[in-house]
Amino acid sequence: MATPSLRGRLARLGNPRKPILKPNKPLILANRVGERRRERGEATCITEMSVMMACWKQNEFRDEACRKEIQDFFDCASKAEEARKMRSIQGESGSLPPKKLNMLLQRFPNKPHVS
Amino acid sequence: MAAPLVKATRGWSDLALSVPSAILRLPGLTQVRWSRYGPEYRDPQIEKEYYRKPLAELTEEEKFERELRKTQRIKAAPAMKTSSVFEDPLISKFTNMMMKGGNKVLARSLMTQTLEAVKRKQFKKYHAASSEERATIERNPYTIFHQALKNCEPVIGLVPILKGGHFYQVPAPLANRRRRFLAMKWMITECRENKHRRTLMPEKLSHELLQAFHNQGPVVKRKHDMHKMAEANRALAHYRWW
Repeated sequence: MATPSLRGRLARLGNPRKPILKPNKPLILANRVGERRRERGEATCITEMSVMMACWKQNEFRDEACRKEIQDFFDCASKAEEARKMRSIQGESGSLPPKKLNMLLQRFPNKPHVS
Repeated sequence: MAAPLVKATRGWSDLALSVPSAILRLPGLTQVRWSRYGPEYRDPQIEKEYYRKPLAELTEEEKFERELRKTQRIKAAPAMKTSSVFEDPLISKFTNMMMKGGNKVLARSLMTQTLEAVKRKQFKKYHAASSEERATIERNPYTIFHQALKNCEPVIGLVPILKGGHFYQVPAPLANRRRRFLAMKWMITECRENKHRRTLMPEKLSHELLQAFHNQGPVVKRKHDMHKMAEANRALAHYRWW
């Protein structure tokens, strides 16, 4: 599929028609890409937390009565933390993440001039 | 941090130089906090157990790391980190948090006076108690300190989350270091603010530590208040995204 053409779209002296496009910035590629939209995460460890709070309600918020539930909550929290770290270390499966792309583009920027 | 460097220099074992790692230098930004040590400097290994291991027990990796450390440049160890048996990382951290204006001498003396006061109180109780109760009285100030701070650690914390233009206090699990920090912070704040003008810090701190050791007192109450608020806001838990 060909890209849509720019011929006769802008307001120029040689162009007899009304302008189709009126860009507010110059049509030049910038040396950065946009950020990836972060995907919607859900809250982790809700069930363990509610179990622990139910135990607290029954035992007047004493910690020694709810040891097991508290330990389960901690285990769930640490597992969730590790999973999050693994996901962030793995990075983007398809292309490079936008931060690395921006670093590369900073080092090798787009040439607006010919030479 | 040593692991990637080990992989990089395995191929060149005869080279004494280490591979310089690329520092991110952004144009127009100068680093404000920096150290005189370059990136090739390694952290010092202070633990005695590392050096006491007999040579036969070491794995290949550890033997290689030992050889590497002979040629690498190592930073100087900080003044407060020793390999002494008396050093306790929790006590050092607490002393640093108590310190004001860099007066480490005063903070350390306050810490030692606190531990002494705790010990004296417990010994007094011990000598006044009958022989059945004597077994239950803990006299080691370090165990009392550790247990008291452990009793003050909150299990769950509240995080302000912006949703629909309002900030909601959402219950969320806390990291271990955050919980330890909160326990120490609450203890110090309590001892600084809620005391009579003429009581000294060691006196007040020892009193609070002993109360926290028995799960009583204002610091443990603050922890319970935090838990109660989290329990009251448990419906907002879905506002979290992590």
